[in-house]
Amino acid sequence: MFENQQIEQLPSIEELTFKGIPKAYLKVVLIHVFLFFTVAFTGLFLLIRYKLQEEIPNYTSYLYVGVLGVFLLISLILIVGFSRRKYALREKDISYKSGIFFKKITTVPFSRIQHVEVDEGPVSRLFKLASISVFTAGDSSDDLEIKGIEKTEALQIKEFISQQINE
Amino acid sequence: MSSVHRFTEFSKQSPKGILVIYGSLLYKLLKGTWFLFFLFIKGFSKMSEVTLVYIYIGISVVLLLLLLRAFLLYKNFQFKIADNHFVLKQGILKKTNTSISFDRIQNINFKQNLIQQFIKVYEVSIETAGSIKTEIAIKALPYERAQELKRQILLTENPFQDDSEISKEKPLLKISVLELLKVSLTENHFKSLLLFLAVLIGLYQQVKDLVKGLGKTADFDSYFDEGAAVIYGSLILITIFLLLLIVIGVLSSFVRIFLFHFNLTVFIRDQAFEINQGLITKKSILLKKEKVQNITISTNPIKEKLGISFVIFKQAISGKVAKKKHKAIKIVGCKAAQITKIKELLFDTEKLETAEKDYVDGYYKTRMCFRSGIVLFLFNLILYISFEEVTLFLVNMLLIPVFGLLIHLSFKKTFYKFSSDLLLLGSGSLGTHYTYLPFFKVQNIQIKQNIFQERRNIVDLVFQTAAGKIKIPCIKKEKAIEIYDYTLYKVENSTASWM
Repeated sequence: MFENQQIEQLPSIEELTFKGIPKAYLKVVLIHVFLFFTVAFTGLFLLIRYKLQEEIPNYTSYLYVGVLGVFLLISLILIVGFSRRKYALREKDISYKSGIFFKKITTVPFSRIQHVEVDEGPVSRLFKLASISVFTAGDSSDDLEIKGIEKTEALQIKEFISQQINE
Repeated sequence: MSSVHRFTEFSKQSPKGILVIYGSLLYKLLKGTWFLFFLFIKGFSKMSEVTLVYIYIGISVVLLLLLLRAFLLYKNFQFKIADNHFVLKQGILKKTNTSISFDRIQNINFKQNLIQQFIKVYEVSIETAGSIKTEIAIKALPYERAQELKRQILLTENPFQDDSEISKEKPLLKISVLELLKVSLTENHFKSLLLFLAVLIGLYQQVKDLVKGLGKTADFDSYFDEGAAVIYGSLILITIFLLLLIVIGVLSSFVRIFLFHFNLTVFIRDQAFEINQGLITKKSILLKKEKVQNITISTNPIKEKLGISFVIFKQAISGKVAKKKHKAIKIVGCKAAQITKIKELLFDTEKLETAEKDYVDGYYKTRMCFRSGIVLFLFNLILYISFEEVTLFLVNMLLIPVFGLLIHLSFKKTFYKFSSDLLLLGSGSLGTHYTYLPFFKVQNIQIKQNIFQERRNIVDLVFQTAAGKIKIPCIKKEKAIEIYDYTLYKVENSTASWM
């Protein structure tokens, strides 16, 4: 029978309870940043040692301080921003929000998903974490990716979405 | 349907295809090496006879090798239809086997460049969307075979198609040369000029690279510097230069419009548009109603006076949107009645008429001012660094009012309204654009808010479609959330296929 009941209230994104990313992933993020800056510091050290030492001997310490400052600032932004990364799953769509200065919330309906991917990086693997990405048609750079949820959950979500798509 | 080709066995294209492939290979070669020819002609008198003989032999060998390559390409290019799939094998050394399911096929287009027109064959290109990145072009098929292939591929989806009646049909739109002149004259010549300059810069880079290879960069640059110095010195020359730019702008508008839209005719058949256009390369496109993701109807003040506008149809594309802009289908010179018909076929716009227009928040203006401010600042910085002449900064007297006007217009023209199924977004600065997007075509939806917007409780709402993004800038958060929820509701409850 054809049914078409009037809808009084649409389900709203505002009433959704969002779930945070596991704290362990913050460690992964910080390890990544730390590794990156270790490389950057090594590079800077070599550069100063073999080149800049002679050219601008008075300013080399400022360079270290500058890079250290950037490192601390990025870490701080990531730590504060981390608590803003949240996701939510509904019967028919998946949502993700993030950002401190640039807030963003994205929702992808399951019916438009082309495929789902679960990836785990080498560091994430140590903590049994994974990222889940969904792709829709068209320019997929702006689709949704949830980084650093527990791997078992990521696989569950993937399974759930796959089921919904095939229905 | 007398001599029906069934395509059940692997078959090659028409032997004339060798010629077409050879032509395109030659074209590619010329595009890469035209400057060498220029050098050759310039140095012709200085060369000894022996060198000349070697050069001639070299050229003939290259030409022969290309012909051989064309023949092999032709010989190894075979296709068939099997089990609702289009199957293609190609490649001389590296063999590729491609198979595309019919429902993945978005469009089958016919094209004819000069060679193809001359030897009376059609290039059939098969466009796909989604994750498959293949694009297939069969270079040379006689008209009947091309039609038959198209019919067989589209038949499974659309069994009511019959070609026999086309000739009697009245086209929805037929643009005469006179109308095309009107369209060209009212184009945005500034944009045409920029496009032309972009092509020029591309050529300049190519030449420069070649000259660099020959070790003559200094000469080449000084040649240009001298020229620049002469122009810089004289006010009359600057005026002439500006006039020349205007003429070039107008001319390139004409060339662009005539090249792409010459002899434009549009038919409506079985819920689909058939669009034919082009001067040197004739294109024939069949655009199905359900494949259209969104359309934009645009006009500008002068075109509006003449009652004409152009329409851009956007279809699903895979990969990066910016690179595939040419895939959007544009038709020009539409009158109001034709626009209505196009809209009627695609969507139900009736309810939209009664809907109320909503304008965007004033912060949009502030943001545009801020962004233009940055652009102007950078521009002045560059001026300051590269020239010592103070009078040059007078240019700002012209630029600031122009920017101001554009921002004001852009703010005034940005609005949105929606009916139960359809969103209409107005935009533009000098021109006016109306974008129509059915809610169920949306792929995902996003709300964005920066720290300045947060204070005013406004957000940007971004609809991601298979044909690119559509953004409503700076609207009240409550309103945005309402549309957000509603869009999701429409998408999740629709059973119609978005493609």
